[in-house]
Amino acid sequence: MPRILSIWLPLLPLNRLVRRGDPRVVGPFAMTVEEKNAWRITHTNKKSKEAGVKPGQSLADARAICPDLLTEPCDPVKEEGLLRTLWRWADVLSPQIALDSPDGLLLNIDGCAHLFGGEVDMAEYAKSRLNDLRINVRMGIADTKMAARALARFGTKFVNIAEAGKTNEIVANLPIAALGLSSAITTDLMRSGLTHIGQLSQHKSSELARRFGLELTNSISTITGQTPDPIIRKNPDTTYAARMTLPDPIGLMDDIDEVLKRLATHVCNKLNADNKGARRFSLTVRCVDTGDHTMSIGFAQPCFDSEAILRQFTYPLSKLKIDFGADWFRLSAHQLEHIQLKQMSMGEKTNHSDSKYKLIDVVGNRVGFDRVRVFQHHENYLPEYGFGQIQVANKPQESWRYAKRLRPVRLFDPPEHAKVTTSGRPPQRFVWRNTTFDTKSTKGPERLTPRWFKDKDLRTRDYWIVQTQQGQRLWLLTYPGTHKKEWYVAGEFG
Amino acid sequence: MPNHIQSAGNLKSLAKASALGKGVVTCMNLSKSMISHVEVAEGVRLKCGRIHEVSGPASDVFAMLVSAKRESEIMWIGLNREIRSLCATGMERYVSPDRIILVETVSRDEALWTTEQALRATGGFTVILDLPNTLSLKESRRFQLAAEHGGGIGLVLIKGSASNSAAQTRWFCRQLPDKNDTWEWDCLKGKNGESGKWHIHYQGGVNATDIVHMATATSA
Repeated sequence: MPRILSIWLPLLPLNRLVRRGDPRVVGPFAMTVEEKNAWRITHTNKKSKEAGVKPGQSLADARAICPDLLTEPCDPVKEEGLLRTLWRWADVLSPQIALDSPDGLLLNIDGCAHLFGGEVDMAEYAKSRLNDLRINVRMGIADTKMAARALARFGTKFVNIAEAGKTNEIVANLPIAALGLSSAITTDLMRSGLTHIGQLSQHKSSELARRFGLELTNSISTITGQTPDPIIRKNPDTTYAARMTLPDPIGLMDDIDEVLKRLATHVCNKLNADNKGARRFSLTVRCVDTGDHTMSIGFAQPCFDSEAILRQFTYPLSKLKIDFGADWFRLSAHQLEHIQLKQMSMGEKTNHSDSKYKLIDVVGNRVGFDRVRVFQHHENYLPEYGFGQIQVANKPQESWRYAKRLRPVRLFDPPEHAKVTTSGRPPQRFVWRNTTFDTKSTKGPERLTPRWFKDKDLRTRDYWIVQTQQGQRLWLLTYPGTHKKEWYVAGEFG
Repeated sequence: MPNHIQSAGNLKSLAKASALGKGVVTCMNLSKSMISHVEVAEGVRLKCGRIHEVSGPASDVFAMLVSAKRESEIMWIGLNREIRSLCATGMERYVSPDRIILVETVSRDEALWTTEQALRATGGFTVILDLPNTLSLKESRRFQLAAEHGGGIGLVLIKGSASNSAAQTRWFCRQLPDKNDTWEWDCLKGKNGESGKWHIHYQGGVNATDIVHMATATSA
């Protein structure tokens, strides 16, 4: 049997505000959540609890009981962030950690407890460390995951330990709600006079299953360990970031460059060690007077070169106004990718492609990476859908496939109207872009039908290649079958 | 003949390039792109490390045929309207669309900045600037200096009338109505005395480089 430690953080949203130094938490204070168009209390602090505010009450009721009550809505995203930070911290206790969202952690402490001097000392150590961080905690240690969770939530002490092999006896004293069943079944059980888990063992499981459903018997067998319920280990991802806090603010460009250089070297060494590169780096500068400024740069290829990072940050940093200095810096790497190590340049081809990506970095960081594009082939016979423009980073490996039909060099989408002066099919003389053209020879028509299932404009199109006497070869378009005999210039062959 | 003038000019440019050259990177460029010129068709030569102006209704094809003759990447820089109208399925006849990097800028200033960066970069890029209006002397002089540094080739597609500029050559390109895939390339201006008029016929299929001059009416 493994030994499982369940850490429950009952007041996590409240603790977040306490840690942030919110002045309101001194008096009666509660966290709320909106449920079915009504605000309800979820967490209360000591003063509001003394005044009679309880979780589950509606906010209006709570205000009536305690007029001084101050509240704040829960912020699940930020609370999850705090929980994840604790998740990263928890590897001081054990290497096998799982998140138990929204307010708990589960650890497999097999073979770890003796390092702290036993399970009691380990739990006490964790509790005091978390209390130092101003976080309220309750813990349970048992042979199964469910039992440890139940002990943490329904145990009488802050640290509840069921010694190895004695889990069933201790769990028997816990209330039915500790099974974590749906509220309908729990109420049903309570109505039939079953208040403790121990009372269930006096009945045959087949009878329980028939009366209350398989959900009940399943949870009994997981809590007692008859059905295995292992911890699925999920350790947090490594973050590639570095930060620097300075005793005094700095404002000179050279000093900031030096700070950035140290941060970049640290982050890049970390990336390098793991054979990774990042496509995006962001730098946060905390100015003493104006607060945080975050700027980010991108790369066309995953990058782990600190020099390149420095170079690309020069421009955004030069735009930043640091009047009274900055004293906190953080550089983090995002969009991580594995790097396939290649032989360094032996020929000119590598050199060329290196300089190509360098240029894309420089241009992309200034005009935006969405504006630096390459062509992509699409399998479509309609001229405007035959190709697309995509960002360089998304470029597929496959090379260009050649189309079978002759297409113009410039395509006008939507097509530009041509004024017909001498009619014909195609017109003998027409005016386009304030220039008169005379038709010399024509080729066509190429008739294209739009895809009825997809396109909005369902008119059949006739394309003509028109050689004009003026020299230009134009791609004329008309819609046959419509009453108006309008002509459009769809492209230019050059 | 223009050929002789050009080769003499190339030697001069080589000397200049090595005088400008800083460090190893420029030397690498010397080996490939800076030494010579691009010979687009027989007699039609464009010097590298320079910018050239192209005007007329067939300037797109001229730019594509020049870039097809070079090995380096092609940067096509312009405003939204110009970049969005480029049709890759039509361009593939002249140059492989895989080699083209498009930069769509929101303003003329941004396009100029990008062009200068691309010309200055040490990749020997073919940089095509596609703007609705022409360059001033100051702007073209700056590009010229950047191109000398980077060793690439700059092609400025000018619409409307050309003004005084620092470009090496200026071309006027138009289609000939008598025959398909035939163009007249007229060298209007050459700093080293390049001049001439070529009738060019494109024989190849998909981005083949078979360009044959039909009749050469050179007037040196």
